[in-house]
Parts: sequence; structure tokens; C-alpha cells
Amino acid sequence: MGNLKEKLEEEKKKKKKSEKAKKTNAELFQKKVMLKKEEKQNENIKTTGKKKRRREKENNVNADKVEGEKNKNKPRKKKRKGEEKNNALVGKSVQQDGYEEQNGKSKKPNRKKKEHHTLKKGETIPEKIEEAVEDGAYYISSGEDCSKGMRKWLTEYRQSRPGLKVLQQWIDQFITAHEEKLEQERNEREARVAEDGWTVVVHHKGRKKTTDSQSGITVGSVAPAVAESQLTKKKHKEIGPDFYRVQKREAQRNEILAIQSKFEQDRKRIQQLRAAGKFQPY
Amino acid sequence: MDVDTLMEPMDLKVSELLKEVQVDYSPALTELVDDTVSAIKEAINQIPEGIEVTVDEAPGFVKDIGADKVEFKFKKPKSVEIGGSYSMKCIAKPDINVDLFIQLPKECFHEKDYLNYRYHAKRFLYLCILKKFLKSSSLVHKVEWSSFHNEARKPVLLVYPARKVVEFPGLFVRVIPTAKFLFNVAKLDMKRNNIRALNQEGNTPLPTPRYNSSMLEDMFLEDNTEFLKKTFLGWRELREALILLKVWAQQRSSIYAHDCLNEFLIAVILSYLATHEKVNNSMKPLQIFRVTMDFIASSKSWSQGLYFWQQREVKVSKEERLLYKETFPVVICDSYAHLNLAFRMKSNGFLELQDEAALALKCLEKSGDVAFEDIFMTKIDFSSKFDYCIRLNLKGNSKVCASGFCLDDECWRFYEQKVHNILSQGLSDRAKFIRVIWRNFHSDCDIENGLSTLDTEPLLIGISVSSLEKAFRVVDIGPNADNKEEALKFRKFWGEKAELRRFRDGKIAESTVWESKQWAKHLILKRIIEYVLLQHLSLSKTNVLQVVDQLDFSLLHGVEDPMSFSASLLAAFELLSKRLRCIEDIPLKVSSVQPLDPAFRFTSVFPPRPHPLASEKGHVPKLRKLISCCIQPLEVMIQLEGSGNWPMDEVAIEKTKSAFLLKIGESLQNSWGMTCIATEDDVDVFLSGFAFRLKILHERGLSLVKREIGSDIVKRVPSVDKKLFVRGQHSSMINGLQGIYQMYGPVVRLAKRWVASHLFSDCLVEEAVELLVAHLFVKPLPFTAPCSRIVGFLRFLRLLADYDWTFSPFVVDINNDFTPIDKKEIYDNFTLSRKGHEENAQNISPSMFLATSYDKASEAWTRFAPNSLELKRLVAYARSSANLLTRLVLEDQTGPLKWECLFRTPLSNYDAVILLHADRLPYPQRLLFPSNSNQGRLVVHGNASKAFQPFMLPGDLRGNSEEIKHKLMVNFDPLRSYVADLQKEFNTFKLWYDSLGGDAIGLTWETKKRGRDEACEGEDPIKVLKGVGEVGKGFVRSVYFLKAPRLMK
Repeated sequence: MGNLKEKLEEEKKKKKKSEKAKKTNAELFQKKVMLKKEEKQNENIKTTGKKKRRREKENNVNADKVEGEKNKNKPRKKKRKGEEKNNALVGKSVQQDGYEEQNGKSKKPNRKKKEHHTLKKGETIPEKIEEAVEDGAYYISSGEDCSKGMRKWLTEYRQSRPGLKVLQQWIDQFITAHEEKLEQERNEREARVAEDGWTVVVHHKGRKKTTDSQSGITVGSVAPAVAESQLTKKKHKEIGPDFYRVQKREAQRNEILAIQSKFEQDRKRIQQLRAAGKFQPY
Repeated sequence: MDVDTLMEPMDLKVSELLKEVQVDYSPALTELVDDTVSAIKEAINQIPEGIEVTVDEAPGFVKDIGADKVEFKFKKPKSVEIGGSYSMKCIAKPDINVDLFIQLPKECFHEKDYLNYRYHAKRFLYLCILKKFLKSSSLVHKVEWSSFHNEARKPVLLVYPARKVVEFPGLFVRVIPTAKFLFNVAKLDMKRNNIRALNQEGNTPLPTPRYNSSMLEDMFLEDNTEFLKKTFLGWRELREALILLKVWAQQRSSIYAHDCLNEFLIAVILSYLATHEKVNNSMKPLQIFRVTMDFIASSKSWSQGLYFWQQREVKVSKEERLLYKETFPVVICDSYAHLNLAFRMKSNGFLELQDEAALALKCLEKSGDVAFEDIFMTKIDFSSKFDYCIRLNLKGNSKVCASGFCLDDECWRFYEQKVHNILSQGLSDRAKFIRVIWRNFHSDCDIENGLSTLDTEPLLIGISVSSLEKAFRVVDIGPNADNKEEALKFRKFWGEKAELRRFRDGKIAESTVWESKQWAKHLILKRIIEYVLLQHLSLSKTNVLQVVDQLDFSLLHGVEDPMSFSASLLAAFELLSKRLRCIEDIPLKVSSVQPLDPAFRFTSVFPPRPHPLASEKGHVPKLRKLISCCIQPLEVMIQLEGSGNWPMDEVAIEKTKSAFLLKIGESLQNSWGMTCIATEDDVDVFLSGFAFRLKILHERGLSLVKREIGSDIVKRVPSVDKKLFVRGQHSSMINGLQGIYQMYGPVVRLAKRWVASHLFSDCLVEEAVELLVAHLFVKPLPFTAPCSRIVGFLRFLRLLADYDWTFSPFVVDINNDFTPIDKKEIYDNFTLSRKGHEENAQNISPSMFLATSYDKASEAWTRFAPNSLELKRLVAYARSSANLLTRLVLEDQTGPLKWECLFRTPLSNYDAVILLHADRLPYPQRLLFPSNSNQGRLVVHGNASKAFQPFMLPGDLRGNSEEIKHKLMVNFDPLRSYVADLQKEFNTFKLWYDSLGGDAIGLTWETKKRGRDEACEGEDPIKVLKGVGEVGKGFVRSVYFLKAPRLMK
């Protein structure tokens, strides 16, 4: 276990490191995390950046800019909440979006936040049909952070392969912990039973036990094949299905009933097919 | 009782079918027919008696059939009478047409007009006059030429009434001239020559039996129809049987052709059976049908010819019978003993007919009512029946009619025969059937101006392969070298392809050799066909179009089929299992090793090729070719010796397994130097260039499931062991199957590729595809098991499109060993799963019920997907692909419809489309078509991440070999990770993707009924899409928005 913790801590450190390293990159989300003000500026930078990249209409860009500026006036508290929940993302609350939604850049954080809302609070939020955003396409940079996309998958891939020795340790730890847990559970159970005034008689000698103490189901060393053959043996002793005349008659009647129901079914089916125009050989 | 009860459901369907296809003679119909007939009579009456008819009416036609002396004075027909199936009340939809016999007057003909095509020319000119006057009739919509059983020298007129009745669309009247009493029958004897042009060179004039029969047919058309009418009119069951037979034949276009069966001949055969008391009044239509099939398939009478019992003194003598037999392959002599009614039938057509009849009988033998669909409802056209289809484009080919259009037979029929002969000699026992059909007549033929336009349709050749061993044979051994005469013939036929060879047994013989790589053996037949056709017919290569390898492009890596590495893969597996069994330093020994991956059973679309970095040899490859960074692991299932020391709960079992696997991996690494790369759940080892992923099956895990069943039936989650067990069962079952059917693997691969490339990877798992295709092989009726990949693929598409998924379980009985109890169990399971259907038609699960011997409740493969909506889409796609494929096989593919369209999916059918960076896919070479979307609005775009490259860079290959090996990424697939992340994060849409290497993901909004979470409904789809793009950072190229989700209030 300790090993695992260490590992996690290591990971965290790594992340921090990489975050720091990437700060120099003009990466929007990282900066958002770092500093609110910077974020605002960034958004503006981004809009202008976009303008260069995309063949979008002038007025849209303007609208964007305006939106971007409006964002500045947002109360910050809510944003911080989102930050706490996800250190890589900044959410904006849905309630306040109204106009803000129109800002294309902040779509992703919005979504995140919204999920928190629906999942955690489970409350219904007044539904608003937002007008389609009229700005150009949203640009995702190739991204040097490891929380999303290709880099995340690569990191996950590498982290899940620490080498045989480490894996062995993890598993050993898990099994020890698991066994302890089971042991504890059993002790508790026994204690509970003992409280009821019953003494649990434990007898460990002799034949290996083949029955689960709780459910009484046969487990372990009885091979399925043996069990099956025993079952079939039992069956043989039963009276055959056509021993009594009553049984025969019943079977016959059942058969006729089955045929009749099949007939009815077929007729229904054909009617359906015909209605759908599919019962035609051409 | 048994038979009766089994027949009953089929009887019901048959009677329903009859209701569907029979035409009741309602006043609306009779009125329409009578009106049209009287309009025709009216038009005839308007023709002035005695006008001179000359060649000028149709100079081209007269010249082309080579007639002399054709002038006559027009006289009215002696009688105009309705005949054919309308008069017998045996019309089967959709062919609603009425035959009208017009008896040509004797006055228009001379006694000797049976000579030199004079009769045919006059007959045609007579119709020309008729057509002229019919055209001006106001009651007639249009008049068209058609041919009598594809015989161009005997055209008929199709008259379409001006008045349309909705119930009878496309009804027309066929005006057929007859020649009763025109000529002396004795002059038209089989032995006689009646075309003088034919006997100029030879000493003894060649007989012209077909030409003579062509006239005799016209002379006795009315009498024969009258005879049939007598048999059928008073006998309802016989009429119904005739209709059933017509439906059966209509579904089989390869036997319902001019050189095989037609409506008239079916009626003749039935009446033969009736007069010979093979069928009687107490029989039901279906019984008559069965007797007829049996008669066609296996009666000995065919070898002597069918002769009606003579009521009068006219008897067919023995010599005559012999002569008939010599002249025609099939003889059905009419009741007046004048002609062979089956004179057009060719032997290859007849063999085919017998085979089809035998197949129908086989269908009938099956219990239950499955036979009904196979016999009457399944379309068996050229493209789905024959393993190889070939089209010859002979338009404008002067060789076809080099010696005139019409000799004893017509030039096109001669050409058919010639092509058939060449192919049957070239293919010898490789082919079971070779069908050559050239349908010449099409509605806009302008035959007044000659017959040269009749070659516009392509000639169709269909080949059924006898067995794949024969078809894939590399060497054909010809005659012994000593046998000079035969050897010369062989050389003459094969030209420079023939070579003298010495064989192992010391024999020296002429032979042909068709060397081929293992994976390209299906092309041997193609090469032979092309060679012999080009050798003997003056054709250019472009005019021979063979449907064989057009879809191979979807399976190739570069120019090579990755299947070629299968041998080394199997060798590596053998080695691995040997090493695994030898391991000593683990507590429990390995008792069995079983392959799980489809690559081991030849059904993987892309079986891996040996990776240079994954072999145990330490050397580092030079970077000459592109070396992939990723490697596909192949799953292998291991069983250990039994032990009582295993833990009891599933989590602990899984951990223990991992611990075992790690030990195994370590041991392999230590004793053999094999690289082992592991995660907590998967352990992969490298051997001979392949990566194997080891899994342990623990038998006790299986009983764990059963316990769960007992506790909670609704929430059955199969344990890891159960899943493994089922996969093991499936794997060994399919492996056995593909050993029997060589073509199984390629068909499955095409099918899987199709499923994936239409973004259905999430809907239909590979194993389900394997089972569907398996069905085509183990239950091929009404076909035989497919022997080429294209026909197999087409049948797969049709199966998917046509199967009644909602109301029938799909049972795959590979070993054919289901007992009635098994079947009942399956049906009970099925009914149980469909119970919920009544209340909620949208939500059936599984919507595709696949039962097999190891999985009788359809829990293994289709339990969660496809759901009914996905299935609907799947079926629609399969149908349109099947239709396209059929068209591609049968018609010229000029135009935008090309073969690759079968694998190119339209991106407009989604609500949004995510395009990926193709060069960040793990195997970019598998991408068929780089996707581009010009529809919708671009909402997101992004750059490719630099962190991942699908191919090794030069820098990656520095360092020691162990390090480099660890750079190889086992089973890394950004697409899978992306989809998983998206599914984790969003639940408002469904994803459609191609797990085999597509660069597009389709997205459709889920319209779930939500009570509380209405907020999500109002969510801005653009915003969602931006989130979607963000999750795939560095991988997503662009996201297009097409449609907003429907808002549900």
C-alpha cells in the first residue's frame, strides 16, 4: 500500500512539474488555473488569435470580443468553486451564462461545471435554449497537459506498466489487505453469532470441507462433471414422462396447443408482413 | 400425424402466398383486358384489306434474317383470341400480362414460305403494319417490340392500354402471331434443311431443326394452349401449384431464362405429370409442387424425353425418338407429336434446373416452415448464386455475327454455346456449373432497322465452383506426351500456356501451371478464364469483366494480404504453448493453452505481421521500412492444474491470476529471453515478432456465475471466467468451421471490414459477425455454401438485411447436433426475451438473438448491442450495400457508383462528425479513405499531438535492444481511449466508430426520456461538441455540427 501512496505522490509531483514546465506555453487552461487575471487576458488573446486563423466574419469576432470583455465582469466566486473540483478546468455556472454561453471559448469549462450541477445537486436548472453561437470554429491546441487527450492516454499507458517487480508487489499488497479484510469480516460475524448465545463449533480436522458455511452450497473439490453425473443419476429414478396414460394425453394436448399457438402466431406475423408490404415474393 | 402437423404452418404460408400473388378476375381486370383487346381488334379492322406490304416496312430486319421474297397483300387475321396464362387463370403477380394470339391468314403466305426465313420476315412485316395502326388508337398508351423467349427472329408486340388501373400496374397485352395450318408439317421435319444458304458448300444439306421448330411452335401454339387449358381449368389445386412453381422460378433468374424454363414449359411439365397420373385430384398444391420438383430433379424420363400419351393414332416412332434425343438435349414432345416444345433448352440450363429442383427438395426436407422462405421468398439471382460472375461486353463485336445473324439458330445463341464450350474446356472439373446467358432484347430495341443493336446488353457468365481444392489447383495435367493427337489438341487450346512437364511419378504430360501465392489463390480461376477467353475470342481485356477481386483492396496492407503471415503466427503459437507447458517454477503447471484471437482462426481482418522489435533476437533493425510503434496483442487462454487453494471471491481470483501470469511472464523472460510487458490486468509476452496476451481460465469462476443466477436473474453479469470460457468455446468452434470451409475466413474478413467501415464497430462485435457468416456456410440453403468471397459477402449483406430479427431467433448450429430439446430451449429463451416487446416495441434486448451451442440464451455477443435503433440502421445500410453490390456485379459501373463505395460511409447521416488526425492512428495504413466532411458547420478544430507517432523515428532506435523493445506499445489505441473517455464523460449522445482504423467518428444525440435531468436537454450542442473536442486533444482534427438534438418536452 505504502508503495502505492508513494507512487501517487510521485505522480502528483510529476504533474506539478510538467505544469510548471508548460506554463511557458501559451496554453489557455493552464493559465486559467494559475491566475484569474491572466485568464481574462488570455481569452482576449485567443479571440484575436482565432481571428487570424479562421476565415470568420468580422462582426462575429467583434461580438466575441465583447463577450470576452463581459466575462471579466463575472463574479469570481463561482469560478473558484469549479477550480477546486477540477484543478485543470475552470467552470462557469450555468445560471449566469445567459449571454455568456455565446462565448465560444469557454464551452468546455461550462460543460464540466454543468455536470457537477446535474450530478451532485441533482437540481433542475431552468432550461434555456441557447442560440447557436455564430463564431467560427473553436480551436483546441495540441495540448501539452496530461489531463486530456493524447498525452493523457500515453501517460496512462506508461503508468500502468511499471515493470514486473512493482506489479508483483502491488498484487501481494492487495491480496494481503484483502485477506485481512475477509478475516476481519469473519471475526465480526463470529462475534455476532456468539453474542446471540450460540457457540460456534469449529472443527478443522478430517475431510476437507466442500460446503460453503454460509449458503450450504457445495463448492471446491467436487468436480462439475461428477456433480452433473450425480444429477443425471437422480433423474433416472424419476418416472418417465410417458409412464401413465394421463401423462401421455397431457403431452399430446400440450403439443396440439403449442401447434395451435404457433399457427396463430404465424397468421399474425403474415398479417404484419403484409401490412408492411413485405410478404411479396417480388 | 407428425408429418401433417409439421406441414401445417407451411400450408398456411403457402395459402397466404397464393392469395398474395394470384389475380382474381375482378370486373375491373376483365373490363380492362376486354377493352384493350377490342381496341386491338378495332385497330386491325381499320387496316384496309389488301394493301401491299413490302420490304420497306422493315428493310433492316428482312436483310438481317436473310429472307428473300417477302411481299404479300394484307389480309385480316383469321382469328384474334386470348391465350396464355390469363386464359388458364394462372397469372402470378407481378407479371400481369395477357397473351393475344393473332392467327395469320393463309392468304398472305405461299406454300413454300417455310423456306429461307420468308415466314419470319412476313410475320414481322405483318406485325409492323399492325403496330402502325395500333399506335394511332386512342385507347393504346404505347406499343413496344419484344421478343418471343428472347428469339429475335420472332418478335411480338406489347400493347399497353391507355387506361391505368391501380391494382394492375404495368399490365400489357402481348400480341403473338400464330401460324396454324400455314405449312405442311412434314416439310418441317427435324432432318430437313430449309435454309438454302446453309447447304451451298456441303454435299449433304445440314438439317435445320431449330429453325423448323421455331415455325412449328407458331403452328401449334393455339392447339397446345388449348390442351393446357383443358388440363388446368377444372383443377384448382393444379393451377395453384402452377402459380407456386412460377413464384419459385421467378425468384431464380438463372433458370427462368430463354434457354431453360419459361411459364409455358412449367405448365407443360405439370400437365405431363397430370396426364401421366403422377399427380391426382386429392393432392394439395404444395404436394404437387413437391412431386414436380422431384420429377424435375430425378426422373429417369428425361433421358428418354417426355412424350404425352397419345389419344389418337399419332405415335412417335422409336427412330423419331432417337432423332429427337440426338438433336436436342431436352425433349418434351407436344401432345400432337409434332415438335419438341423444349427446343430452346440447352443442356447447361437443364442441369442447372435439375440442381435447383434438388435444392428445393432439400429445403422441403427440413422440418418446420423455414423452407417456405428459402423456396418462395428468397431471391436467387445471378449475383448471389454464382461464385464467379463475368460480364462480356460484346457491343459492336463483329465476330458475333460474322456468318450472319440467323442460321439454324441465332448467332447470339451460337456465341453463348461457344463461350460455354471454351470455358468448360478451360476450367474442366474446377467448375460445377457454367451458365452463359445473353439477354438480347431490351424495350427500346429498334429492330425494324436490323438486328445489329441486339448486342448492347453484356453477356453474363456465372460459374459455380465444384470445390475449392480443385478451383485453387495450381497445376492442370493434360494428356500424356505419347498421345500425339490429344497433346496437339491440348496445345492448340492452351497456346503458349501449355508446357511439357515431367511429374513425380515419372509421367511426362502436357500441362498448364498457374503459380500463385497462398493468399492469391482465388485469382487462379480468374487468370484461367481471362486467358482462355482472350485466346479464343477476339476480345480486348477491357471487355472481360470478372467479379473476383474488386473488394480485396479493403483487406490488403500495401500490395500484400497480411494473411500471408498466418503460418508464422501459428508456428509462434505452437512454440509459445510448448514453452508455457514446460514452465516448472510456478506452483501450478500449465495444463492447456488455447488461442482466442481471431487471427488464429483466419478471421481477423488484419492479422499482425511479425514485428521486427518483438522477436527475442537482440538485434536492432535498421530503419529501412516504416516500423510501427504499436503492436496488436493476440489473446491466448491458459488453464492451470486444478487446486483447492484458490480464493473464493472474484476479485481475489482475478488478482491471483495476475500474480500467476506475472510469474509465468518472468519465467519466460528468464529462461527464454522473451520480453514480458505487463499491467495489473494484462500480461503480454513477445515471441517471434508477435505479442501474445495471456489469460487464465479458472474453472471455479464458472460456478460463480451460476450462483449469481440463482440470486438475481435480472442482473446477470457474467464473470471474467465465464466470458473467457465462452470466447474459448467460440474460438474452437469457429476454428473447426474454417478448417472445413476455406472461403469462410475471407468472407468473414470482408464482412467485418464492412461492419467497421460503416462505423458499426460498437454495434456488432466481431464474434457476432463470425456467427452470421458461419450460418451462410452451415445452412446454405437455398444456395450451396459460397465459394468466393464476393458471393459470400453479398449473401452476408442480404442475410443481415432480410432476416426477420424481431420475430425469429438466429440459431447457428455449427456441428448440426442440436436436439429438439436444445431447439426448444432456444425458442423458450427467445420468447422470454421478446415478452417485453408487446409493451415497448423500441426496447427489445437483445434485438438480435444469436443462439449457439455454447450460448443458448444469446447472452454472449448481442446482449447489449445492437439495440433496436442500431439494428435498424445496420439493416438499412446492409440493404443499400447489397443492392449496390448486386448492381455492380450485374451492370456496367459507369457512373459514380464504384466498388469502394461499399466501404465508404456517408458522413451526412450523423448529428455531428468528429474527424481524427489520420497520422495519429496506431495503424494509419489501414485507413481506407481519408474522411472529409463538407457538410455541417465546423465547430472545433485542433492540431495533432507531437507526443505520439505511429511509426518509429530514427532516434527511437538508438540505445540497447531492451530499451527499444519497451518503446513498442502493446495494444495502444488512441481511438479506443478516446471513445472510452467520451463515454465516461458524456451520456447525451451515442458514438459510431470504426475500430479497424477509420478516421471518423459519428455522433448522434440520444433522445432519452428524462424526468429530472431536463437541464441536459437544453444544453447547447455546440458547447457539448467543444467538450468532445477537448477530450480528444491532440487527436481530434475537427468536429462538424450537422443537426441539433430534438428537444423533448
